[in-house]
Amino acid sequence: MSTPVLETENLVKVYGKGATRFDALKGLTFEIHEGESVAIVGKSGSGKSTLMHLLALLDEPTSGVVALGGEPVTALKPKKVSQLRNDTFGFVFQQFFLNPNQTVLENITLPLKIAGVGKSERNRRGMEVLEQLDMADKAKNKATNLSGGQKQRACIARALVNNPTVLFADEPTGNLDTATSEIVEDILFGLHRDQGITLVVVTHDEDLAAKCQRRLMMQDGEIVTEEHGATGVHA
Amino acid sequence: MRSVDVARTALGNTFRSKLRTALTVVAIVIGSFTLTLTSGLGAGVNKYVDTVVGGFGGSSQMFVLSTGAADAEPTDGPAEYDPEAAASSGGMFGPGSGGGVLTDSDIETIEEIENVSAVDPMVFVSPDFIETPDGAQYDLELDVPANALGLELAAGDAPGDDGMELSIPEDWLTIFDTEDAEQVIGETVQIGISNVTGEQSTVEAEVVGVSEEALSGIGATPMPSRELNQQLNDLSMEGYEGQAQNAYTMAVVDVENIETNEQGVKDALVEEDLLGLTVEDQIGAVQGVIDAVSWVLSGFGLIALLAASFGIVNTLLMSVQERTREIGLMKALGMSSGKVFGLFSMEAVVIGILGSVIGVVLGLGAGLLGNAWLTGEGGPLGGVAGLTLFAVDPLAIIGITALIVFIAFLAGTLPAARAAKKDPIEALRYE
Repeated sequence: MSTPVLETENLVKVYGKGATRFDALKGLTFEIHEGESVAIVGKSGSGKSTLMHLLALLDEPTSGVVALGGEPVTALKPKKVSQLRNDTFGFVFQQFFLNPNQTVLENITLPLKIAGVGKSERNRRGMEVLEQLDMADKAKNKATNLSGGQKQRACIARALVNNPTVLFADEPTGNLDTATSEIVEDILFGLHRDQGITLVVVTHDEDLAAKCQRRLMMQDGEIVTEEHGATGVHA
Repeated sequence: MRSVDVARTALGNTFRSKLRTALTVVAIVIGSFTLTLTSGLGAGVNKYVDTVVGGFGGSSQMFVLSTGAADAEPTDGPAEYDPEAAASSGGMFGPGSGGGVLTDSDIETIEEIENVSAVDPMVFVSPDFIETPDGAQYDLELDVPANALGLELAAGDAPGDDGMELSIPEDWLTIFDTEDAEQVIGETVQIGISNVTGEQSTVEAEVVGVSEEALSGIGATPMPSRELNQQLNDLSMEGYEGQAQNAYTMAVVDVENIETNEQGVKDALVEEDLLGLTVEDQIGAVQGVIDAVSWVLSGFGLIALLAASFGIVNTLLMSVQERTREIGLMKALGMSSGKVFGLFSMEAVVIGILGSVIGVVLGLGAGLLGNAWLTGEGGPLGGVAGLTLFAVDPLAIIGITALIVFIAFLAGTLPAARAAKKDPIEALRYE
């Protein structure tokens, strides 16, 4: 088997101290391989969001190791970690987090801007991604004028614009109606299938989880069961 | 993130809430406006003092006085009689202030000091009258020829060293029944003077220039040429019985390489109970006062800026609070804390640049217009020749702009540090 793109070893996250101590993660060890689609499933408070934050290098574990491409990242400097996030990850958020004052194109090219890519190159790659997601005609629109589905597509475009290895999606369909949800899911799994992108989905939606190749069921900071094989339509 | 993108983004963000930015900028404009005005005022007046005092002599010159004249030290009770001091105190030839005067032997002593190339003793003369060609006589008080370089001329030339010449002030044109300064050039006047025995005699002199009154007072009275002054002095001394002793109020001394030899000559003069003053010594005191006043005024400008800087802190803190999620997103997408800090500092700098540029432009406009109005033809201070109240000093303007931008940057560091410290997860959860 290839080197796992992400792996954890005895991952522990504790919030607070003494009486208010809360063990969010109680020693998780697992691997995510390149090209996999993984769902982290659990109720709220199960630790799934904490786990995603640790995997996405947005937070540091209390103890344990997160390794990216076989290399532990715990020891890296914050600046290097920021750069790794920018290079390797794409993020799709439930609340979209689009800047309402900026155009769609400006919004989706933000990761490239942060990476220090020149403006013309940014716009070229931004338009490419927008075309891929059938959003090219909305490029000059202000983000605030989009519908929910369009916003999430813009959000996916932003996540894809830096050609990430891993795409993190935090409740990507949480704010969408059923029909729109399906479109967004199609896009995400299409990317996974056609471009071999590694997909990590955090959700409490069983239907969405079912479409992933692997599901990590979380409860009280532990992975209680692990299921393999997609049961959804996109097997 | 590239610097150019940081700058562009900061600029865009600054205009996101226009009213808030505008109000913050106004506060800075007030400060920079005040600073521009006060520094321009200081520069303008100093420039005027420079040109006025520049006339008192070349920069290689030193004015030498007897220490008695310079140190009118107050004594408790009556001072003890000192026959030597009394002898050198020039009696009726003295300047009237009762101070010491320079004698011929003093002049010789000065001439022997190393690096002194020339000594030009100055005498005050007190003529009785001036007579115009039509026979009318007027009271006359003469300036000393050494001040000739400080004359602001409306017409003609300053009286020179040789020739029986003099200049008259502009408001004396009436005695020639004319308003045109050019017309009196070349007119001949008689000057009457009494000698020690009370006998009056006259000399003829030619009007060669018409002077405007400078703020220093030079040009307010007629000024003779050196030769005329000497002639008048000789006439006034006629009939003096006993040993005629020349007495001079001061002497103008030319010093070679004044930068290096100034102190040496001064020290040598002190040993002879004499005091040497350069032009800088004399204007230094005046400019010191002007500088002090303009610094005090600038202090008010700085206070305004200090208040404005809290406006920047406030504005940016609100901005950081409002954009918490945006900051969280940028950090999640890989923007380093340093760049977040840079972005918000840059927004403060943008506000600073805006405020300082607008304020400086307004200040320059107000200063130049005010100067033109006050000192221009028919203005309240229009009568003072060569007066400038406001001057543009490019260095000062660059300095003011830099100072304000720096203050803005400092004010921005607190909000920027707060933005940089934000935890992306917390920030993205923020409602």
